[in-house]
Amino acid sequence: MAGGKITTGGGLSSNTKSKGFDIFVWVILILVVFVTAYPFYYVLVASFSNGYDFMRGGVYFWPRVFTLENYESLLSQPIWLNALKISFIRTVLGTICTVFLTSIVSYALSREGLIFGRAYRFLTVFAMYVSGGIIPFYILLRYLKIINTIWVYVLPTMLDLFFVIVGISFFKSIPVSLIESAHLDGAMEITVFFKIVLPVSVPFVATLTLFSAVNQWNSWLDSTYYVSSESLRTLAYRMISEINSSLGANPSGAALGEVRTASTVMTTQATAMIVSMLPIMCVYPFLQKYFVQGMMLGAVKE
Amino acid sequence: MQWELQVFALLGIVFLLIFRYTPLLGIVIAFKDYSINAGFSTIFTSEWNNFAHFKEFFSYYLFPQIVRNTLALSVLKLIFTFPAPILLAILFSEMRCVPFRRIAQTISYLPNFISWILVYTIANAFLNVDKGLLQEIMMKLGLISSPIPFMTSPDLFVGSAVFWAVWKNTGWWAIIFMAAISGIDQGLYESAEMDGAGRLARIWHITLPGIKPAIAMVLILSIGGLLGGSMGGSNFDQSWIFGNRINNSASEIIQTYAFRMGLANGRFAFATAVDLVQSCISVTLILVSNFLVKKGTGEGLF
Repeated sequence: MAGGKITTGGGLSSNTKSKGFDIFVWVILILVVFVTAYPFYYVLVASFSNGYDFMRGGVYFWPRVFTLENYESLLSQPIWLNALKISFIRTVLGTICTVFLTSIVSYALSREGLIFGRAYRFLTVFAMYVSGGIIPFYILLRYLKIINTIWVYVLPTMLDLFFVIVGISFFKSIPVSLIESAHLDGAMEITVFFKIVLPVSVPFVATLTLFSAVNQWNSWLDSTYYVSSESLRTLAYRMISEINSSLGANPSGAALGEVRTASTVMTTQATAMIVSMLPIMCVYPFLQKYFVQGMMLGAVKE
Repeated sequence: MQWELQVFALLGIVFLLIFRYTPLLGIVIAFKDYSINAGFSTIFTSEWNNFAHFKEFFSYYLFPQIVRNTLALSVLKLIFTFPAPILLAILFSEMRCVPFRRIAQTISYLPNFISWILVYTIANAFLNVDKGLLQEIMMKLGLISSPIPFMTSPDLFVGSAVFWAVWKNTGWWAIIFMAAISGIDQGLYESAEMDGAGRLARIWHITLPGIKPAIAMVLILSIGGLLGGSMGGSNFDQSWIFGNRINNSASEIIQTYAFRMGLANGRFAFATAVDLVQSCISVTLILVSNFLVKKGTGEGLF
């Protein structure tokens, strides 16, 4: 028997080995997909579940008592609605400003004929490696008097240094003849930028848009610490205070190492989370091909 | 036209001078007795205090613990978040069913787009001692007799931080390695197969050497950003959000301590000094890692 195995060896055994390897790859990847996707799905299920029923446990794949109450109650609270509004405003405003400034600056820096171009590029790259730290930055924001205004969300992130570097290399790849022929027709630089350069830079602009929108939407530190007016709080801040209030609900319990939660806290948190994720989920599949391209753009350059 | 390009470029330079370079000047307050309420010019006019803030931080009885926490979190996150995307990319490339691979990839990027606050919400839904899903399942299976305090135990803080860092970022970073793998000449695999090399042998002798430059590049970047969290996502965000009074002895890192001292306690000059200590350690790490990687692979950042 043993001998037979050896003689038939070769092709067959390497074939079974390869089959075994395929199965291994399948199992691991299915596991990866499950571990990644199920938490999102579970939160979704929780958001459609009745809070008291959900707390009894045993809800895994489908709400036992289906309800829209969580969404109705969340979206009927002015505090959450306002947070949603502020999050939208900061995301739209912040993204427009960032995309405009970052792309126009990197376009200028990418042009061969720019006087002081080397110095400008050096200042940009150097700024990526040094930082004054969070405290001097906060002090600066105080002196600029943008603390407690919507601008504290928008101004400090208007120039994305990483994307300036990516943009320089991207715009350099545009044929100079395209730009020069427009100049021959007497077009202004700003016209050339909007009418000729941007339309051929869709992958760059799309990636930049996606990243700054996600950054704006997810940003929590500024809304928590750079703003004290309740009307300027974002969704991210409300999530934090929701979590904190559930943690602080029973300080004596917390001191014992036990974090107690009220019976509907979990479903409320889940609902808030789904609402926070929805905008990202909506654009995500459409922009996927761009951000993969964009990531490579950056990676190659670095 | 030159003046237009100059205007575009200077928009960026003015931004950098205000938001990036001015805070650098602010670092001087780390060496001074400075109070934020005294006006901008006092940054420069207040008295030097002979390194008093640094002496205070170094002699603080929790100083060794904070430094240890910072290094433990950073190093452990690097050890796990660095190889994980390489392995995942290899698994993706070995998955022969293309539609499944596409779906798996799309799902794997998803966690990268949500904030740490939402990751915390998910973690809470699964690991909360009260009604966490995982606790419930483990109890039902009889694996544990009482819930494990994942979210509050100091002993479990770093482990769970590393887990969530891997969960959040692995799929995203796999993109770079996937691209590197797709750049490998397919002919190499075919001839290796004809020579009788198995799948593992092909991964070991062709795939891994083929993506070596990408691995080296990502390694340099990760070690450079080690204390910040680099590939594993922001250490500050994780420690601040997952940290609480009970696991504080493991979750307090230099950055969260600086932030607490500065923004929560109003000790801005002291906090700047604390932050500066972290920057000094970071710069040293960048220089050392660049030197080592250059020696090992011949590729360096500078």
